[in-house]
Amino acid sequence: MAKSSEPSTTVWDRFLRLAHWVLAVSVTIALVTGFFGGLPRLWLHLIVGVAALVTLILRLIWGFTGPSSARFISFWPTPRGVLAHLKSEDGRHLGHNPLGALMVFTFLGTIAALAVSGALSLGGVYKIGPFAADGFALGDLAGEAHELLAIAMVALIAAHLGGVIFESLRHRENLARSMVTGNKPSRAGDITPLVRRANIVLTVILALLVLAGGSAGLVGLAKRPIAGMPVATAPLVAEECGACHMAYPASLLPAASWQHLVAGLDDHFGEDASLDADTTAKISQWLSAHAAENADTLPAHAFVTPAPSAVGQITATPGWQALHKDIAPETFKRAPIYTRANCLACHKDAEGGRFSPLALSIPALPTSSPN
Amino acid sequence: MKHRYLACFLAPSVLLAIATTPALAQDTSPAAQIEAFSLEAGRAADAEAGKAFFLASHSGGKPDTPSCTTCHTMDPTKGGQARTGKPIEPMASSVNPARFTDSAKITKWFRRNCNSVLGRECTAGEKADVLAWLNSL
Repeated sequence: MAKSSEPSTTVWDRFLRLAHWVLAVSVTIALVTGFFGGLPRLWLHLIVGVAALVTLILRLIWGFTGPSSARFISFWPTPRGVLAHLKSEDGRHLGHNPLGALMVFTFLGTIAALAVSGALSLGGVYKIGPFAADGFALGDLAGEAHELLAIAMVALIAAHLGGVIFESLRHRENLARSMVTGNKPSRAGDITPLVRRANIVLTVILALLVLAGGSAGLVGLAKRPIAGMPVATAPLVAEECGACHMAYPASLLPAASWQHLVAGLDDHFGEDASLDADTTAKISQWLSAHAAENADTLPAHAFVTPAPSAVGQITATPGWQALHKDIAPETFKRAPIYTRANCLACHKDAEGGRFSPLALSIPALPTSSPN
Repeated sequence: MKHRYLACFLAPSVLLAIATTPALAQDTSPAAQIEAFSLEAGRAADAEAGKAFFLASHSGGKPDTPSCTTCHTMDPTKGGQARTGKPIEPMASSVNPARFTDSAKITKWFRRNCNSVLGRECTAGEKADVLAWLNSL
């Protein structure tokens, strides 16, 4: 612990500390919502993800325009420096030590990679945001990378906390408190960072340029036409199929399944739903032409392979089962859901075939009236 | 130029409004349908028999739908619910004037639902009786 008699000096400036704690909180929330929150918490995951990205960008600019110990040039890690620090051949660093510096750059790089892979996945898989036009396959791959990077991030945080504790004990000081107050005890023999003054004006100009330019670029990317979006259900199909249940978008089953279903309308999930031959043929043709094979949405990719035992049942497909595995069977039975077949009860955009996770909300349990 | 944009916006809205308004005056009325079914059956419609038929549990149909009341409930002046969770408008023409005004719909739903509940088509007499009851509530 720092002795109160020791002279202290400001090491971490106000913005650097703010950026550190905003990143700490936003990344933590992103990890918790990402691993445990499920799709209903995706909105929060996105908010903290964007907050982390903006903070990252500002911190990167500050690395070139900020004061002494904030500047990347003050703590750019070299292999020799890291090795010397590992062997404890160097003294106490007032700013980042070489290993801590390596940590900083690894953190910043990982957060950037998480932001990019997250945005690609959100676009390709869910058709949301700047990369909505870049296809399911790329989005799916990016989603895998996003998950691996998140696991790596947990390991990095553990290493960072370990490093803080180790260095605090080694030099008998409280490094965590220094990241709050900005001050560190100043001791003889300290290795001090280069002395630089912060350039606030340049920082603000660069920040505005980068953030405005970046936003404009992302908006431009988001405006590209998206291939493989589901088409609006034809009025005849919406009218006839929608008479008894939600008019399922054609993109939710492959063409072969639709043909099988429409051919068996006289015993349709336990009821006679038969139609005249002309209407039957028209509906079968329309559904087949716009089936899952022709769409690029997550449900289309997930449900394109039917269950062999129930080729006409969306909820029996392995993809549907996997996507809903965390939902208790009782949940589907309660009002106003009643059945697994009632997509619309939770997916507000189900009829359009989008199934955006941002349009997803599972109806709450009815609150029992106090007696 | 301005009013052209307005027209572009209004025209679909008007069409949508027409399409979603319950069509009341279509090609038939409950009374005309009851009369037609009675004529075909060769006897007068019996609302009491129609009530018993509607409320009864039947056999011979599909196992999930033993009765009209499975989806339409015991009270035709109230809405029902399909097995899919989708609401069904009330059957009684007094609370739902759109009922039994479209002969194609009447034919379609009697064919489907009689087959689901009874495993056969309904007779003209049964149809006359049920319509007479649903039209008397």
